[in-house]
Amino acid sequence: MAYKYPSEKIFVEALKAKFAGLDLSEQKVEYKRAGYIQNARKREFQAAGERVAEQRGMKQYDVNVHCGGMTLGQRQLVPYKLSTTSDIVEGDDLHYVNNPAMQQMWDDIKRTIIVGMDLAHETLEKRLGKEVTPESIAGYMEAVNHTMPGAAIVQEHMVETHPGLVDDCYVKLFTGDDELADEIDSQYVININDLFDKEGQADQIKAAMGNTTWQAVHIPTIVVRCCDGGNTSRWSAMQIGMSFIAAYNMCAGEAAVADLAFAAKHAAAVQMAEMLPARRARSPNEPGGLSFGYCADMCQTQRIAPDDPVRCTLEVVATGTMLYDQIWLGSYMSGGVGFTQYATAAYTNDVLDDFTYYGYDYALNKYGEDGTAPNDLATATDLATEVTLNAMECYEDYPTLLEDHFGGSQRAGVMAAASACTTGIATGNAQVALSGWYMSMYLHKEGWGRLGFFGYDLQDQCGATNVCSYQGDEGCCLELRGANYPNYAMNVGHQGEYAGITQSAHSGNHDAYCCNPLIKVTFADPSLVFDFSHTRKEYARGAMRTFRPAGERSLVIPAGI
Amino acid sequence: MAYTPQYYPGASHVAVNRRKHMSGDVEKLRTVSDDDLVAALGHRAPGADYPSIHPPLKEMGEPDCPVRQMVEPTPGAAAGDRVRYSQFTDSMYSAPSIPYFRSYYAAINFRGVDPGTLSGRQIVEARERDMEEQCKATIESEMTCPALAGLRGCTVHGHSLRLAEDGLMFDMLQRTHFEGGNVIEDKDQVGVPIDRKVNLGKAMSEAEAKKRTTIYRTDGVKYRDEPEVLDHVHLVHHRRTMYGYRPETAAETAPGVGAVTYKTV
Repeated sequence: MAYKYPSEKIFVEALKAKFAGLDLSEQKVEYKRAGYIQNARKREFQAAGERVAEQRGMKQYDVNVHCGGMTLGQRQLVPYKLSTTSDIVEGDDLHYVNNPAMQQMWDDIKRTIIVGMDLAHETLEKRLGKEVTPESIAGYMEAVNHTMPGAAIVQEHMVETHPGLVDDCYVKLFTGDDELADEIDSQYVININDLFDKEGQADQIKAAMGNTTWQAVHIPTIVVRCCDGGNTSRWSAMQIGMSFIAAYNMCAGEAAVADLAFAAKHAAAVQMAEMLPARRARSPNEPGGLSFGYCADMCQTQRIAPDDPVRCTLEVVATGTMLYDQIWLGSYMSGGVGFTQYATAAYTNDVLDDFTYYGYDYALNKYGEDGTAPNDLATATDLATEVTLNAMECYEDYPTLLEDHFGGSQRAGVMAAASACTTGIATGNAQVALSGWYMSMYLHKEGWGRLGFFGYDLQDQCGATNVCSYQGDEGCCLELRGANYPNYAMNVGHQGEYAGITQSAHSGNHDAYCCNPLIKVTFADPSLVFDFSHTRKEYARGAMRTFRPAGERSLVIPAGI
Repeated sequence: MAYTPQYYPGASHVAVNRRKHMSGDVEKLRTVSDDDLVAALGHRAPGADYPSIHPPLKEMGEPDCPVRQMVEPTPGAAAGDRVRYSQFTDSMYSAPSIPYFRSYYAAINFRGVDPGTLSGRQIVEARERDMEEQCKATIESEMTCPALAGLRGCTVHGHSLRLAEDGLMFDMLQRTHFEGGNVIEDKDQVGVPIDRKVNLGKAMSEAEAKKRTTIYRTDGVKYRDEPEVLDHVHLVHHRRTMYGYRPETAAETAPGVGAVTYKTV
């Protein structure tokens, strides 16, 4: 890609919007201490808190409780621009509780499982003597799309779920066999050739899949809101089994059903996330078990804009930081609200974008095309040093930028991510990119004599040791590391960036996928509620209250609530 | 206690200041009375006895052991003081000290201290009288400008915010203000009002702060212009990456990394 870094810093436009009328480079300012009243959302919260208190007869939200009456807003409460969009939103609306798009992104992952069809077809053909044809597969797809939302299919007297409550639930099929795909009713097919039509991506994916056939199952959002992620495979497998029984006129109790169930639950099932060890006590399909490679593959920007590796990479960062920092670490692991502030630094105000595009321009000029720089420490050192020094200078030259990222952890995450992603795109190697991350952390710490909170003394100081070793307990390729990787398990401001670093290497190589082509295809499906190719735009829609999520209960609750 | 002066690369005055902080070779610039310090810390009333959590060690009949024979208790430990804290915030705008060098200063030059280092704050926990000794030395020295640094037990994000018009580091809780050209503290570390005005003296001028600072900045000593420190970092990165599991085999140099000379005060 021919790219030229612009003459004006990319983040300046956002800063101008946030700090309207102020000199962005001035180191001093008059603090007006206008309090919460300066911000529309805080005023809305205060009024809502008063209503809640009146309705329930017990106090709730009250800004005056904050710090003994010294309310939020002793400095300017600034809005946030979702990077690469023109959408400026309130910070509060980027907390996942206030943002239905963010919730839906996680719901769409948690409610998904991929189940191979080939094992089931072999059972039907070899054990039961059934004929499996494109027509019979279409009949099965009709059956499974009836029953997956919670409808009965082989029983005579059963309760069922209201179709209007579970309208987001469906099953689609995808295959590396073009001939088979062409013969199945298109409403049930994820069309690889159409969706991956750039840079030969469809051929890459089909070559990896071979002639295998898979079903992408999305159980109802409302179900995973009541149950944990481990339920997805069970709900899915039960309905798949019933659908096979109905579509292929099987005996409901015959032993072959066990083979179909075993395939659907285990042998042919691809979970989105692995089960965690007992001390973390989470089932499959919970965020702590989601590998960085899978997270990167869920994001779809590489599919639609492979000629812009920075954008592809940073959409993954946005996906990962929200999921890992805001939901996983911020709620599952710690509780509270503070983690949102870390995560937003990585996907708002075009800051990470600026730092990374700067590095991309530098790397193109020095090393040439994407993915061609030498895979060695010298490259990581060079690129991470230049990107980190540039970023530090930006914070020094633009006090409003420093104020925007008012925590060292925010700055550390953003600078290290820009360094590593630059290195990943340039080299096409995620391990070398990871080395750039640690290089940046060291430089940052030494230059300013500070880094992030205590955790940054752990993983960011000892982590370099794990970059080049794949021995058990000593390291792993980044694609297969995840939120529960040793040393990564507790620290906000890292995991989403690691997912982005994974993507950067594969964007540098212009790969169709990072880790698993099945994941990539499944989340390419335009029928999903959340659009995984435009993560930041979707967050903006959620913040602006224009995103319509699934799993709502308005059909079965009193109106006007 | 006599420690060997510490070593650090770099030729600029920022590097020199870093060596001074680490080695405890810092200039005393002001005097803060014991009672004022106690009030500002907010852990006990000025003049009150030190609360204790155990009897003096001499009265405890401790078992005979080689560690106890080798390590002389600090005064606070010997008396049974509680562990309390002092926490400083240093502005990014050329405050004299920075969190890691505050920690190095404390850990190298004082006994019985537990420094913690974050981006916006640096905490030292120790037995109360030991903590006060370390805090007093710090606050009276060139490591602290009362306008650009401060005792802050909470709300420390002012370190990266723009300075107020009068040059004070932003403080949500307004623990300090200018009065008669001096910086006055009338709230304790966590913002509780105290019944006195602690005079912390005059703020450093911008030029003096830049002369005494330990931070690299584009409007002072540029980090880019200190190649020896950058090479030091590159060497650390190389050695941790290549020899993390076999440190005994680590090379003294790395490809492309210039020679690094570690100097002392």
